[in-house]
Amino acid sequence: MRDDLSRREGWPLLIAAAAAAILPFALDAVGLPLRSSIDVMVFAIACMGLNVLVGHTGLVSFGHGAWFGLAAYAAALSQKHWFTGGIVLPALFALVFVAIAATLLGALILRRRGVYFSLLTLALTALLFAIAYRWTDFTGGESGLGGVTRATVLGLDLERDRVYYWVVAAISLGVCCLLWRFHRSPVGSVLVAIRENEQRARFIGYPTNRYKLLGFVVSAVVVGVAGVLSVFNHRFASAEPLAVAFSGELIAMVVIGGMRSFLGPALGALFFILFREFLSIWTPHWLFFFGILFVGFIMFSPTGLVGVAARLLAPFRRRIVEEAAMAGRTLSDEPLPAFLKPQDHVEGAILEVRGIAKSFGGIRAVQGVDFAVRDRTLHALIGPNGAGKTTAFNLISGLFPPDEGDVLLRGRSIAGLAPEAITEAGIGRSFQITNLFPALSVEENLRLAVQARHPRRFDPWTAARSIAEIEHETAAVIRYLGVAGIERAEAGALSYGGQRLLDMGLALATKPRLLLLDEPLAGLSAAERQRIGDIIKRISADLPVLLVEHDIDRVFQIADAVTVMNEGRVLIDGTVEDARTSPKVQEVYIGSGAASVAAKPRESAAEPERILSVEGVNTFYGKSHILVDVSFAVHRHEILALLGRNGAGKSTLLKTLIGIAPPASGSIELAGEEIAGLPSATIAQRGIGYVPQGRGLFAGMTVAQNLELGRLRRQTGRGARWDLDRVLAYFPRLRERLDTPADFLSGGEQQMLAVARALSGDVRVLLLDEPFEGLAPAVIEQLFESFDRLRHEVSMIIVDHHLDLALALSDRTIALERGRIIHSGPSKDLRDDLSLRRKVLWL
Amino acid sequence: MQLIFLLEQVLNGLLVGAYYLLIALGLSLIFSLGGIVNLAHGGFYAVGAYLAVLLAPRIGFSGAFVASPILVALLGIVIERFFFRRFYRSDPILSLLLTFGLAMVIEQGLRMIFGAAPLPFAIPPEFRGQVLLGDFIYPRYRLGIFAIAIAAVAATWFIVYRTSFGRVVRAGVQNPDMVGALGIPLQPYMTAVAALGVGLAGLAGVLLAPISGVHPAMGAEILTAAFVVVVIGGLGSFWGVIFAAVLVGVVRGITIYFYPPAGEASIYLLMALVLLLRPRGLLGERIQKFE
Repeated sequence: MRDDLSRREGWPLLIAAAAAAILPFALDAVGLPLRSSIDVMVFAIACMGLNVLVGHTGLVSFGHGAWFGLAAYAAALSQKHWFTGGIVLPALFALVFVAIAATLLGALILRRRGVYFSLLTLALTALLFAIAYRWTDFTGGESGLGGVTRATVLGLDLERDRVYYWVVAAISLGVCCLLWRFHRSPVGSVLVAIRENEQRARFIGYPTNRYKLLGFVVSAVVVGVAGVLSVFNHRFASAEPLAVAFSGELIAMVVIGGMRSFLGPALGALFFILFREFLSIWTPHWLFFFGILFVGFIMFSPTGLVGVAARLLAPFRRRIVEEAAMAGRTLSDEPLPAFLKPQDHVEGAILEVRGIAKSFGGIRAVQGVDFAVRDRTLHALIGPNGAGKTTAFNLISGLFPPDEGDVLLRGRSIAGLAPEAITEAGIGRSFQITNLFPALSVEENLRLAVQARHPRRFDPWTAARSIAEIEHETAAVIRYLGVAGIERAEAGALSYGGQRLLDMGLALATKPRLLLLDEPLAGLSAAERQRIGDIIKRISADLPVLLVEHDIDRVFQIADAVTVMNEGRVLIDGTVEDARTSPKVQEVYIGSGAASVAAKPRESAAEPERILSVEGVNTFYGKSHILVDVSFAVHRHEILALLGRNGAGKSTLLKTLIGIAPPASGSIELAGEEIAGLPSATIAQRGIGYVPQGRGLFAGMTVAQNLELGRLRRQTGRGARWDLDRVLAYFPRLRERLDTPADFLSGGEQQMLAVARALSGDVRVLLLDEPFEGLAPAVIEQLFESFDRLRHEVSMIIVDHHLDLALALSDRTIALERGRIIHSGPSKDLRDDLSLRRKVLWL
Repeated sequence: MQLIFLLEQVLNGLLVGAYYLLIALGLSLIFSLGGIVNLAHGGFYAVGAYLAVLLAPRIGFSGAFVASPILVALLGIVIERFFFRRFYRSDPILSLLLTFGLAMVIEQGLRMIFGAAPLPFAIPPEFRGQVLLGDFIYPRYRLGIFAIAIAAVAATWFIVYRTSFGRVVRAGVQNPDMVGALGIPLQPYMTAVAALGVGLAGLAGVLLAPISGVHPAMGAEILTAAFVVVVIGGLGSFWGVIFAAVLVGVVRGITIYFYPPAGEASIYLLMALVLLLRPRGLLGERIQKFE
């Protein structure tokens, strides 16, 4: 069946062959000379070569004319000086020359990515143009280099245009076949993976820089072939192809034709020549109109003519992509596939983390963390928000090098290695924020991960799908994960839960010796959590797993060992029982109910008037449903605590209220006015102040300047006016600091400034996201007292993981779980009744 | 005497650096706030020069000097409104292609309206002449545009670092969501920054028209050089761009003194060297989204 499929998939080659056969007759029929047909062929090759980078690898080169021009010069000059009268030798010399030059320059240019890469290619071609144009003795400068001859090869008199066309057509088809094979090879598939998500490609073990260089050189040489064919067509080499304008035309042809399709760029070349030949009859300024067309395509159809055609034909086509419903799957209870089972057993620790530390701009995210993971165990890493768990993961897996300390895998140091080297050493990881190749199918995602460990991953020639071992292993992983039935769905079209599962599958398919899973259960339904939890548990019987997870119930059920982190350090390292019974851990998670500030009873200031009413609000991030039918109200001068586990949707709810994450449906009324769907600036002007997690201060600006930005556009008369003096009356410490840059303040002062800035202007509702995070107890107490006084002025919604504080301060509490409100009631009940608290917020 | 020739070339180099700076600063501003690398920036420079040619005979050089950057800035507002705005939040590669297309349209448009041949545009007589400093002779006009370029850069610095407008812009560069959450709509600032950046390019066009000549491809020429400055200095880094512009100018000047034909090439080699030694640029600023 597969053979049948691949035969049918070969149709672009047949189209190319048919087009090459018809082209000269078709163009002749509309009155164009044979030379135009040759130009079409030449540009088609150049565009397909350029598209290896643009369409397949996602690197936009504005300087590929350089390879066209260099090859042309190399062929012309070598014919003139060394191979007089020859054509094969100059052509070969030119290609070798381009390959060497592209390797050297590519290695330099590929040091930068994205936009910088594009700018560098632009500079490269500008440099070469400057040299070619000025070096008159060698290149002929402005007047170019004429006298190029076409010899007779194997009895074919190439001087005749008709003969030359068929030779060019044959070579073009040859190049087409080579590129066809290249794109279907393991190397070709990795280039597409790089386009989709280079970081993930590295984390499944591909040294992406080498692949990019390979793609760059292939691309340059193919464009070089076009340059050689062109110089023999026009018998003339000049600096013109080195000009930025020519590279731009190539890019335009690729885009107009369609960069996501194999033959699209060739179509673009045909379109360009036709456009040029016909439009230049009635205007010399045809390029102007071509430019307008190009801009039009970018704005309205970035996938080019092929994309337009696909859209027109879409209603008539049978859709082959399966519906991405999780319901379409067939589940099975297979054991871990044999090829994923480690061949040996390690006594003692397989992974040892020794005193790793990392700071980001002064914030010490992880400081001196030690723990060890034993073989064939499930080791959980837990802790509240900002504990440093994900940072620890990132240090182990190589996203960042640790500032201090060492990481040993089976006794060998892997600290500071590149992600692909760490993956190769045997660590496979999943990501907290889903990190997939979104436009590729589920099967292709997993196949790429399996292929990363195969010896033929650098094969540029064999069709990747024909390597039986990779196919079998991919199929086994698909069955094992339970994604059979949806394997042809696009990864990006899966539900959030499906994407989480696939992310874990990618980590597993790299045949790791240790699996690192970052919140694999987040966003899954209850039944899915059970199933995936069981799978993880079963995997860990063969393959050790290090797991970050917020679902503590599940963790305590399945883990063999637990490390609890808090504020960048290890709090407890031991068994589940150690963690469950530790008072320290309880305090971190649910508070002790005895903190001194929280002990004093607080007067409520709440009044019956409703200030904020939220009704049936739903919010999505992409495809993930974060808030589900959330309804609640806030009254005048009331403090509402918003509690729940990490990932429950607390921060998102605040962002929905301020308009940064607008709701998809539902109503939000502020003092009777609907604000749902308004821009956040308008909502803020209506009187909502927002203090984000991490404070969101503007670095490099002083306290006074930060406060000024707060009231710049919010003195609107809605809510109480907060001028500088009134704000400073609440936070007197800021008065002495008015001229200090915000980034030089202490953590407590920064938090005060963030609150003061949110108040500046006219504010009636204040949203506080983790205002006590990372502060010393004395500072927390000061802030707490400030909030307590502020309750007489504004209403507040506070999110904080210091439960005692949040409960002591607030009048009412709502608890969120997976985006739904699961509890709502007076804070007093939760504050005083620890068993109720445990029921709502803990186990 | 030798030293004076070298000094003259260094000064010429600094002059070149100053006008690269006017272009690069605008590029950097637009990039920082909206994330758009404006490849059409050279086009606006060319439009500025052509407007000066068009306006000078009617309202005099001084009039053109004032009017043409303003007209270019207005054009920038239109382009921002109808083109840039649709691409702020999309893949940076698309905006790169878009502005490349716009650059093509502008260049071909100029060619269509004014022809491919360079237009004559002489230094106005009132600004001709030399300045003598001991043995050292330097054209008055060049010193003048040097001063104006520095004044324009200083004014830009003042706007960005010393006004509340600039503070909103810098805050928007750091955290656009937070600026919105403080009740400040960023869109008008983005329009204004586009107008300012493009206006600076227009100003450079007027100033240089008499020296570099006025022809349709002038935009593409200066753009690649400005990008060299930006790559060396770091996109979005004010002081990095200034430092790089001075460096590029001086290196170019010195190279021209010792081996004139390599003047152009020297700045690219400088860039290659910086890339090898410090791939993130001299004052390396790393912006993840654009890597």
